[in-house]
This record gives sequence, C-alpha cells and structure tokens, in this order.
Amino acid sequence: MSAYFIRRLLLLIPTFLGITFLVFSVTRFVPGGPIDQMIAAAQMADGEAGGGSAAGGADGASSGMPEEVLKELEKQYHFDKPFYLAYLSWLKQLVTLDLGKSYKFNEPVLDVITSRFPISIYFGLIGFFLAYSVCIPLGIAKAIKHGSPFDLISSAVVFIGYSIPGWAMGAVLLVVFGGGSFFDVFPLGGFRSEDWNDLSPIGKILDQAHHTVLPVIAYSVGSFATLTVLMKNSLMDNLGQDYVRTAFAKGLGERRVILVHALRNSLIPICTGLGHAIGLIMAGSYLIEYVFNIDGVGYLGFTSIIDRDYAVVMGVLVINTVLILFGNILSDVLYVLVDPRIRFS
Amino acid sequence: MSTHEEIPHESVSVFQKRWRKFKSLKRGWYSFLLLSFLFLLSFANPLLVSNRALVVKYDGQFYFPAISGHIEARDLGQRAIGEARYRELKTQYDEAGGGNFVLLPPYPFHPNENLLSEPDLLGSPPHAPSGRHWMGTDDRGRDVFARLVYGFRISLAFGLGVVTFSYLIGVTIGAILGYFGGIVDIIAQRFVEIWSGMPFLYTVIIISSVVKPGVVGLVFLLVLWRWMGLTFYMRGEFYREKSKDYVAAAIAQGESHASTIFRHILPNSLTPVVSFAPFALVGAIFSLVSLDFLGFGVPAPTASWGELVNQGKQNINSWHLVFFPLGALFSTLIMVVFIGEAVREAFDPKVFSRLR
Repeated sequence: MSAYFIRRLLLLIPTFLGITFLVFSVTRFVPGGPIDQMIAAAQMADGEAGGGSAAGGADGASSGMPEEVLKELEKQYHFDKPFYLAYLSWLKQLVTLDLGKSYKFNEPVLDVITSRFPISIYFGLIGFFLAYSVCIPLGIAKAIKHGSPFDLISSAVVFIGYSIPGWAMGAVLLVVFGGGSFFDVFPLGGFRSEDWNDLSPIGKILDQAHHTVLPVIAYSVGSFATLTVLMKNSLMDNLGQDYVRTAFAKGLGERRVILVHALRNSLIPICTGLGHAIGLIMAGSYLIEYVFNIDGVGYLGFTSIIDRDYAVVMGVLVINTVLILFGNILSDVLYVLVDPRIRFS
Repeated sequence: MSTHEEIPHESVSVFQKRWRKFKSLKRGWYSFLLLSFLFLLSFANPLLVSNRALVVKYDGQFYFPAISGHIEARDLGQRAIGEARYRELKTQYDEAGGGNFVLLPPYPFHPNENLLSEPDLLGSPPHAPSGRHWMGTDDRGRDVFARLVYGFRISLAFGLGVVTFSYLIGVTIGAILGYFGGIVDIIAQRFVEIWSGMPFLYTVIIISSVVKPGVVGLVFLLVLWRWMGLTFYMRGEFYREKSKDYVAAAIAQGESHASTIFRHILPNSLTPVVSFAPFALVGAIFSLVSLDFLGFGVPAPTASWGELVNQGKQNINSWHLVFFPLGALFSTLIMVVFIGEAVREAFDPKVFSRLR
C-alpha cells in the first residue's frame, strides 16, 4: 500500500514539470511581457512630466529605460536566455521557494500570494461546509422518500442548480440584492468594508457576515446538484444490498438500518470527494472572486494574466497545480482509510 | 385460452428499444425536439434577425439583400453613402407611396449594429428594454435580443463541436488503449495524468490571453482538455469487454483488430459515454460562457452570452444585461440536462431495489 502512494508521490514530479514547462513556454512567446510593460510604464511616466505614477519602473530616467536597468530586468526575468534554460533557472529558484518578483506589486510573488490566501480560504471553507451540510441531509431525505412529491420537487431545484454556474448565480444575486435595480440589501462585493478597522468588534463581525452571504451562496450552488445526487444514489445503492436485508430481517428499526448501517457505507463516495475539494477551497474560484471583486488568489491569478505579470501567473499556477495533484492523492488515501475493502497496488 | 404467448413479428434492436424508451420520457423528448428545432431555426438567423431587408422592390425591380448581401444605398434611391439602411428606406418608401416597398425581417436589427443613431434610443447606452428593442441595448448600443439569438447558435454549435471532436478522439484512443494494453497503455496513462492534473480553466485563460484564438481555435483548445476524461471510461469498458466470449469468437473467426474494436466491442461499450454526452455538452457551454465572461472567449464583435453578462457586471443598474443572457443560458442548459436525464434513463437504466 505505502509503495503505491510513494509511487504516486514520485509521479507528481513529472506531472508538475510537464504542466509548468508547458505554461512557462507559452508565456515566453508573447509580446507585451513584463519588460515591455515596464518600458511602457516608464515612457508613460516621462509623458506625464515627472508624475510619479509609474510605481515599479523608471528610476527617474529621462529617456525611456537606461541600458543597465534593462539588462538587470532581463536578467531578473530570465529573458536573456533561451526559454528552456530560462525554465531551468526558474525551476532552480522554485526549489528554494523563490517564485520571483511581481513587477506590478514590486514584492516577492510568494508574499503577494500568501497575503491573499486567507481570503480565498475563508470563502472556500464556508461555502464548502454549507454545501456539505445541506446536500448530505437532502440526499438522504431524497433517497428515503424516493419517488415522493418531495423528491420530485427537490430534484427540480437540484436540476436548476445544475444548469446555472455558480458565478452566474452570483451575478444574478448581485443585480437583485446589490442595490443596482431592485433591492439594496448586500454590498457590491469586496471582502470587507473600507472602514472595517474602525468598527466595533460586533460591527466587524456583522460587516464581515454582510460581505459573506452572497459569495458563499454562489460558491456552494456550484456543487449542490452533483453532491446531492451523489449522496442520494449512493444511499439508494446501499439500500438494495444484502446486508440491509439482513439488518431488516433481524428486526432492526428502519431508522437504525438506514441511518447507521446503510448511511455509513454510502458516505464513502462523498468522503473521497473531500480531497478534490481541498484544491478548490484553497485556490478559490477566479470566476466568483471576479464577480464579487474579492481580492483572493483566484482574482489575483486573473488580474495578473491581464497585466502580464508572469511571475505571479506562474506562481498561482504552481500553487493551483500542487493543490490539485495533492488533492487527488488525498482522495485516494481517504478512499483507503474509509473503505477497508479497497486495495491499491 | 392459448398456451402460446403472442410472439412479436418484428425484431427490435437494442438501439430501437432505447430510442423508444427515450421517446417515451416526455420531458427529455420534448426538450430534444424543441432544442433541435431552435438550433435548426438559428441557421435562418439572417432571415429572421438582421438589419438587411428580405425583399426590396425599387423601380419595378426586386432585390434580395438578406441573401445577396451588400447593396449600395444610392442604387435603391436612398441619399446615403455605403450600404443601404433598410429601416430608414422602409419609412422613405412608405412616405413616398408608389409601388416601392421594403420587407424587413421580423426583428430588423443586427447583433453587431450600433443603434445609437436611432431616434428612439436617446441618452447613453445601455438602454432598458422597450417595445422596439425587446431586451434593450448593451453598452455599445447594440440590440441585446439580436445578440442573444446569434449567441445561441454560437454557444450550441461550439458545445456540439467540442463534444463531437473530443468524443471522436477520446473514444478512439481509449478503445485502442484498452484493447491493446501493455506499454502503450502505461505511457499514455502517464500522459493523461499530466494533462488532467492541469488547472483547466486557468491554463486555457493563460493560453487564450496569449494566442487570442478564434472560435475554431477555442474549440481546439477545449477539445485538447476534454478528450482525456473519455479515454478513462473507454479504456475501462474495453478492459472488461475484451475478456468476454464474443470477443474471443470474433478473433477466432479471423476478424481484424480494427473490425473487432469498432464493430464488435465498441457498440457494447458506448453506453456510459453516450449517457454522459449531454452533460459533456453542458460542461462545454459552461466553459465557453465562463471564458467569454472573463474576456478570453470568442473574439470581440462576435455575439456571446458571457460577454453580455460581463457588461452587466460593469453596469450593475442594467439588470437586463445580466438577466436575459443568463436566462437564455439557463433555459438552454436545462433542456440539455433534461435530454441527458432521459438519455441516461434510456441507455443506462438504474433500477433501485429496496426493501420496505
């Protein structure tokens, strides 16, 4: 067993290299990379007659960018080498957890990303718990009352949830409750109000909750349908098994048979989904963060693509990939832990 | 009382049985009919929703601009430069009387047409819905309803394209991997693992921001990711089917590999992927709308639902920019989901037995 997981862990390496190499190469063949952006910023600063708006750029140069600065920049972003050597240098830095420097924030990429992690995790975790705490009981109820009006109506609701992506739901919620055209109940997004630090402790909590409601609904809607149907089908499968027949035959009550005997086994597929969910929770969802202007990791990844801040793009990619890959393995580990019948080899 | 049961004369193939079952599931069947009808209808869009007139009669001569294309304004007696403006031409002819007439399409606006010079659209766009513009205009003064109608065709055609190509590739490769197994299979599995470990949407956005693909390029990009998942299913099915007697019989009869794979095993192993197809379509349309929403989808003037929603995000007061496109997306997808539910029921019925 452990041999299997060691092999899986080792296989992460080529997978990781393959993904990062592919994306790294793509980012290299684009016009308008970080250096071009900086030159543009420097020229803009000149045009503004000494206006100091070009944050990470010009060093007060009078005519574009001086030769040495340009050389230094090329070196920093490995643009002085062919892309495969540049990739190796990038990889070498990565081993020491150095993801390079963001030209936009003028900070190390790792700091930029870690400072946004708590925000993504906050929304991800709450959405995750909400989805699981609604879907599991709902799935169980639907399985027990299979074919009843309750089952049919809730199925319709679930289908509706399946036919609209979470971010789209978020956009609708914003229009309805964000004060644009209908009700002005919730803020238009963001993580907290700007004056959050000046609020009283209770005010802080209320403000935070106020900003949390809509994004969290959008987060959990995405997984509602699949999770509920999975729970229902899994329990239905188990209710037809011989051991359930045995349990009934020896005279146990229906409640005990379903909620103790059958439920345990039917939670197995739900459990193994937890591993995949980790990646989603941690890395956030760029779509939902974009809709609600939440400054999390997903939104950072998205804006850095637009700004061509490739050090950050690669950094977010690395973290996303690692989380997905570990999540997959975690799923398999959980599978073995909760279901002793499974043997990987 | 006869002891013999009535034996049906016609023999019914498995597929016919499934088709009948599918037709008997009303919700899915009617969704299928309606969606197919709308999709076919959408190919007549230039005749239904466009600013080019269907028929123009001018000085005893007939013109068919919707079919023949560009006609100079002055050739139709309009004082303007460039292409004739048919809505104005209609008012001009009507006022002048005489035998000239213009027959406009039922909804006489083009999705890419800037309508800000229209007399009824005052102020800055986006305009709220009105009797003339059923769903208002977007932030560039283009008609939302026209854009939705054209977006429907693009979305569905795009989704069908992605599903078809990823199925062709995924099913074939999965079949070959499962049938032959061995070293090819092991290497290919590693490759599939790399591919499926990638954060799909994020990588597509990065690539799309760099190469700026057209619609076809975008289909290609999505197929690149979508086909992988299918190989898993097919491979598994082929592993199972390969050990069955009919395969051994086919090989013993001297059937070629290709014939064994495609004529004998394939029809028996398609069930899971077929019942998954409508949901793959939902996924593909989701991806397109999401990419459009983020601004990395189809190139700029193309009508797209996601782009409209993004405009709605920028103009939070214009509810019509969010509600209508998402309503269109939702209605389309729920039909596809109903179809999928019926297909699954017909192809892969799950019978739950339960005590009590």
